[in-house]
Amino acid sequence: MSLQNLIMNLQRFWAGQGCYLAQPYDVEVGAGTMTPDTFFRVLDRRPWRVGYVQPSRRPKDGRYGENPHRVQKHYQYQVIIKPSPSDIQQIYIDSLVSLGIKLSDHDLRFDEDDWESPTIGAWGVGWQVMLDGLEITQFTYFQQAGGVELVPVPVEITYGLERLEMFLERKDNFYDLQWSDDVPYRDLRLREEKEFSEYNFNLADIERLQKSFVLAEEEAAALIEKNLLLPSYDMCLKCSHLFNLLDARGAISVTERVKMIGRIRALVNQIAQKYCGREVTP
Amino acid sequence: MEFLLEINTEEMPSSHTRAGLGQIKEKLTAELSASHIAVVSLETCGTSRRMVVVGDFAPQQEDKEDVVVGPPQAVAFSLDGLPTAAAKGFAKAQNVEVEKLQIVQTAKGAYLGFKKVIKGRATREILAAALPAIITSLSFPKMMKWGESNLRFSRPIKNILCLFGGEILPFSVDRVQSDDFTTGHKIHSPQKFRVRSFREYKALLKKNKVIISDEERKKLILGQIEKRLEPLKAKLYPDEELLERLAHDVEFPYVFLGTFPLEYLKLPLEVLSVAMREGQKLFSVVQDSRQLPYFLGVADAPKDPKSLIQKGNERVLKARLEDAKFFWEQDLKIPLAQRAAGLKQVVFQEKLGSYEAKTMRLKSIVGYLCEKIDEKRFKKDALRAAELCKVDLQTEMVREFPSLQGKVGGLYAKVEGYPAAVAQAVYEHYQPVSLEDNAPASLAGALVSLADKLDSVVGALGTGVQVSGSSDPFGLRRNANGIGKVILDKKLVFSFGHLLEKAISVYGRTLTRPKQEIIAASQAFFEQRLRYIFETQGFRYDLINAALGAGLDNIYYSFLRLKALDALKKSPHFELLILMAKRVNNILRGLPSYKVNGDLFAEKEEKELFSAYAIIKGNASPLIASGDFAKAQNIIFKMQSPLTSFFERVLVMAEDKKIRQNRLALLQAISKLLLEMADYSEVVVEGER
Repeated sequence: MSLQNLIMNLQRFWAGQGCYLAQPYDVEVGAGTMTPDTFFRVLDRRPWRVGYVQPSRRPKDGRYGENPHRVQKHYQYQVIIKPSPSDIQQIYIDSLVSLGIKLSDHDLRFDEDDWESPTIGAWGVGWQVMLDGLEITQFTYFQQAGGVELVPVPVEITYGLERLEMFLERKDNFYDLQWSDDVPYRDLRLREEKEFSEYNFNLADIERLQKSFVLAEEEAAALIEKNLLLPSYDMCLKCSHLFNLLDARGAISVTERVKMIGRIRALVNQIAQKYCGREVTP
Repeated sequence: MEFLLEINTEEMPSSHTRAGLGQIKEKLTAELSASHIAVVSLETCGTSRRMVVVGDFAPQQEDKEDVVVGPPQAVAFSLDGLPTAAAKGFAKAQNVEVEKLQIVQTAKGAYLGFKKVIKGRATREILAAALPAIITSLSFPKMMKWGESNLRFSRPIKNILCLFGGEILPFSVDRVQSDDFTTGHKIHSPQKFRVRSFREYKALLKKNKVIISDEERKKLILGQIEKRLEPLKAKLYPDEELLERLAHDVEFPYVFLGTFPLEYLKLPLEVLSVAMREGQKLFSVVQDSRQLPYFLGVADAPKDPKSLIQKGNERVLKARLEDAKFFWEQDLKIPLAQRAAGLKQVVFQEKLGSYEAKTMRLKSIVGYLCEKIDEKRFKKDALRAAELCKVDLQTEMVREFPSLQGKVGGLYAKVEGYPAAVAQAVYEHYQPVSLEDNAPASLAGALVSLADKLDSVVGALGTGVQVSGSSDPFGLRRNANGIGKVILDKKLVFSFGHLLEKAISVYGRTLTRPKQEIIAASQAFFEQRLRYIFETQGFRYDLINAALGAGLDNIYYSFLRLKALDALKKSPHFELLILMAKRVNNILRGLPSYKVNGDLFAEKEEKELFSAYAIIKGNASPLIASGDFAKAQNIIFKMQSPLTSFFERVLVMAEDKKIRQNRLALLQAISKLLLEMADYSEVVVEGER
């Protein structure tokens, strides 16, 4: 039992469902939803099936490696299928069975939890999937992204890999997990968590972050003008991460918070609209 | 004939299931009644995955008798009484024999015609035509689409079972064709099975690990909880909302008992129970109001033979409690007083500034209230509580568990050694959160609560926020209801108008609307809220109008007026008093006000009335001022006899202008006195209905 086994099993399972196996995106994101393999591909009408691991950074969740299950970077396994199949809940349940979970011994629940990401103008309706009280997956019928109503509707399934592995290994601490049979999670990640927590909370230079935010924002706007939507979107992702860092540093008041998120969303919405427009007239 | 409908969906939130079932019942009832189909019964039940309707309806519409009218009698028969061509033509067109035609009387005269029995259509047909529209028109608090479908619903529809008289009632909704089967528990018995009746449906579902009756699921949960708790001699920390939600979410409840390490018991019960409830939806277990190191969970499973569900939940809970302990310890490192400075950074509302500004205003309002209600001995504690009440918004604990706001501040204040009254006032200052919730127990808490809510309402109305229909983005109704509840429960006596002025003035230049406008808007809004509160307490609307008609500057007095009036409604005096007041008011309608001159009274009856008035006013006024409206009412009633004699013997509208105006002036004085009790002319009495 190990995280890499879990990843391989999920890859095999979703490839079997016709998903293309993407590789993690190389810009910092807060969630798998934000990468182009999800964000752009849900906008148009074409069918789409993809599965991938995405390292996800949430600077504020750093705990210097001292909290058993809060980390400033965790791993998600992200699945997007468009249009959502009518038996997708059952397929998802089958995926858990394929991991060797004997569901008849457990309590699997789909608990109301609607998902929303104001930064990328996205929301959906669905559940957090709870297995014996542990949240292992976010299951969402995606309704809107970049302010655009999605037709047909994609389903998004996001497994929290560390949590799922905690369940499989019956451990109650991320750092006690195995990445492979020989490599413990602790060895790979503990130092990173400590150093990044220090950086995120104490040392990230607020002024430079603010400047970087403005630079990325300007670059994004300029690229939209040039119709270079994917590079422009990368700049928005950078803005989002810089915003998260500033937030972790406590440098954003409640009002500023709403305004900055609004600025990023305005850019992302423009990108989405242009992208959709281009779909009709290639 | 039995009707059974099951809409099988992916997991719906409980509020959606409730809304959906309510609407189906309403729409189906309307459809059946419009179609003249007799309804013997119509019930609903459901889980997160099923909306179920069971009914007993007549198999067909009632037959209808219709009169078909043909040509007038005059042209239908010839002079010798034989049917004419017109009559024969009519008979042929209607496909009846001429002999069956009769004369029918209509508003326009006598016509030839006949009675026709229209056979009722089969209920089955009518339902099959109506159900798709009923189902697709359901509305939920939040709607979604899925796949390539255009239907907007709560969650995707998986299957529709629909039977009438044991047979499939065929229709389709969004590519789902109705059928006669359903499926069992999603994980623990997922097979499909056919049913022919509700009885069979219920029995087979139970066999397949689904309890369809809402009551039965709830009873099962409660029964198992009791069984688990008995050996511990412990109790459940009551949480009706959680119980309702679990009874909805779970199709086959199994209650398990779990434990957590003793070290977390140093956290307060409030924190422990929230950490358990949110996320995992666990109940905390108490003994004499103290938390025990146990919790209860409700699994959607037949059993937990290997205790895996219990152990899994224990692991997750331990991590959550570890987090809560971390927050508790971290938060306590910074004293509340030191955190207060940070309120400047926390926005109350964009147009209304920070929580620091709000805190300053709260202190002024609370100080004012302490003076006005003459509770100066609480002033120090109440002011301290006002100063601290919002500080906990900056704690990690409140960020993690927003529902604990206020309570966390109170708990920290207690740990830090603030006077118990201060800690308690901070703890309870968000109360009441609804009309069902309790007002703060302490007076200091009540005053801070009142000031806090009033500041929010005045601030919003003062910057142009409108409350209408379902739109109440700042929760002003809830706040105003809370204010009403606090005043009534705590029997607070003060001038609401003056308090409003105070609350507006402490905003300084922040409010954009002119002061008089804000006062008018606030008074109208509070009057409406007060009316609502009184109505929910079961008072008659006309009595409410009468009591509020005497002015609502003193809100608690409005309530006392209403109570006095309500108590009188069964007494024989009631109608006499009302009629007397109405008579006086009718005469005075539209007149300018005059002055009484005692020397001008000539008749015995008017002299007697004048002196009765003077005595009654003298006796009643202090009672009115002190809020004893019941007694005042009894005294005022004594006016009835001299007033009756006055009306019988004295001509009010005398020819002499001076005498006339003097009599009117006396009635005006009486009317004014009555109006201090209530506007009796608003009351509806028997004769007028």
